Amino acid sequence: MGRTDSLAKLGWAYGLHLARRRLTRPRPQLPALIEMYKPDGIRPLTPAERELHPRLIGCINCGLCALAAGRLGNTRLPDLASSYMRLYARLADASSDVEGEEADLRAASAACPVGLPLTEVAAVVRRLAAG
Amino acid sequence: MSAPSAHDVCVIGGGVTGAGIARDLSLRGLSVLLLEKGDWGAGTSGSSTWMIHGGPRYLEFDWDTTRRSCEDAGHIVTIARHMVYRVAFLLPILPHDRNNIERMETAMEVYDRFQPLKKSNPHVRLSAAEARQAEPGLTSDLVGAVTLEEWGVDPHRLVFANVQDAVANGARALNHTRVIGVLRDGANVIGVRYRAADGSLSESRANVVVNAAGPWVPEVSRMAGADVQLRPAKGIHLVYPHRISNFGLSAETVDGRDVLMVSHGGFTLLGTTDDDFYGDLDSVDVTEDEVDYLLQAFERIFPAIRDYRPVRTTTGVRPTLFKWRRYEDELSRRYQVIDHSADGAEGFITIAGGKLSMYRLMAEETSDAVCRKLAHQAPCTTAARPLPGSEAELEPAAELGQRFGIPALAAIRLQSRHGSRAADVLDKSDAGRIVCRCEPLTESELAYAARHEQVRTLADAFRRVGVAAGPCAGAACLMRAAEIIGRQLGWSASQRFDAVREFRQGSWLGRAPVLGHSGWAQEELAQGALRGLR
Repeated sequence: MGRTDSLAKLGWAYGLHLARRRLTRPRPQLPALIEMYKPDGIRPLTPAERELHPRLIGCINCGLCALAAGRLGNTRLPDLASSYMRLYARLADASSDVEGEEADLRAASAACPVGLPLTEVAAVVRRLAAG
Repeated sequence: MSAPSAHDVCVIGGGVTGAGIARDLSLRGLSVLLLEKGDWGAGTSGSSTWMIHGGPRYLEFDWDTTRRSCEDAGHIVTIARHMVYRVAFLLPILPHDRNNIERMETAMEVYDRFQPLKKSNPHVRLSAAEARQAEPGLTSDLVGAVTLEEWGVDPHRLVFANVQDAVANGARALNHTRVIGVLRDGANVIGVRYRAADGSLSESRANVVVNAAGPWVPEVSRMAGADVQLRPAKGIHLVYPHRISNFGLSAETVDGRDVLMVSHGGFTLLGTTDDDFYGDLDSVDVTEDEVDYLLQAFERIFPAIRDYRPVRTTTGVRPTLFKWRRYEDELSRRYQVIDHSADGAEGFITIAGGKLSMYRLMAEETSDAVCRKLAHQAPCTTAARPLPGSEAELEPAAELGQRFGIPALAAIRLQSRHGSRAADVLDKSDAGRIVCRCEPLTESELAYAARHEQVRTLADAFRRVGVAAGPCAGAACLMRAAEIIGRQLGWSASQRFDAVREFRQGSWLGRAPVLGHSGWAQEELAQGALRGLR
């Protein structure tokens, strides 16, 4: 009984939906979606970041970059790659951690045994932390 | 054997349901003993998809289940507000999918009617181009997508918050304590016999014994001379130590099931499988075939998925109610409260089936049954009373971090576990140093967990505060973590080594099926760092 009733109601809803689709013009909804989830930190990566992403998260936490370069803001470089690059949705609340001091990211990348592009890592983290 | 203790109720099973029952009953003024053979939430609860969801799939079967599920999800979202977060799913539609985009949107339109019950937003429909802007990794072979919003939660913290509140209201809660027998006096069940973590045997008398052992329900029932039949179903997840996409994704498997990729905190769960399980519940393996089955489904909508490195797998067994001739995926997630007086076991109650999202309601109905049996009249208050940490607004994370000299990100993570009590965790310690840099986790929080949160092993610490949960899987932090916990628990140097070795061996089973090329590089590093432990 429950199943028949549920399917009948879904069938009715489907008919209404098709009628509504015929009568209304579809409008872009992406801006509304982005706005809706902005407070929750749910934001898309850019196509370029997406392309690079598997490489950006390859840190194996060996710590060699810390020996080659200093900190980015208050953040040690290994932490930037292994922790901040996990891209917590609330990264915007931690923007103070990566503001300020610049590190020699080229030297750090050169020291990385798995070839992590730390300049790009820093750019993505800073973009998302900026909110 | 030590002298028997006495309680109104003994609850067997420290998953989310058992913990919820212990909390509910202790808030109603009953004395409760809660026993868990492993750690809190280490079984089915912890190996779930970490979701508080309303169940849109029930719309095909029974709208009332969807409504009840959404209502209870709304209660959980209210009482556990510091530990829940929105999960926005993109449901991409491919040209030959079982359900076309109009059908999918119809389902979401209907589901939108229930979304306000759990404080969730309505769906959005995206064109193919818009969907690829929201998630550039989606395949170009798209018709479009609709969105769906649910809530995420760390089930380990949810279970522990229930335990914590039960204890604060007078309950006694023991983890690593295995029930080895149910005491009977004729037709009456009068208590339990159990073995504690230190190997000692004890008995406890209770007027009612509640069996909330999840998939172990039949085993515990047999101890009481009762019979409960389940159809256990195994489910695995792949765990990636990063957010792969900020949006959750849904994909269809080769056999037409829906599987999910969900971001939680700083990691991603991909799953789940759903297969009948007949093996040893205490030793559930993951096979490479299961891993491939999940990757195959996601590769179709997210082609780059194989470029990502999973760090481990989780596996659990659902305590599904028994039904003959149904595919596993079609089995109901309903639950049943069973009073075994008719089976000749007066004072023995079982709660079977169900799901994480309805744990509070399951606990309420089970507690009602217990109270009826004891002629105890007290209303349930768990729908409105906040769990520990959700009582007050959170201090801005950057300010909390500055006050205690820890990074803002560490403060955020701390608040996600302890909510408004985060400052107490730091207050009561002398160190704000970071021990696990991936998570990031402070030494003081780890020490606090050992002192106040019943952490007895490194695996307990992994569940309670996320030690070794990041990309390095503990290579950089396990020894230090063992020192910090060991200092609190009085471990000797060799006990600390043993603890690390035990953790590494225990986690290997879940890691082996997913180690690819870079996974092995990470493993080499970890082995090197911990050389000498073997």
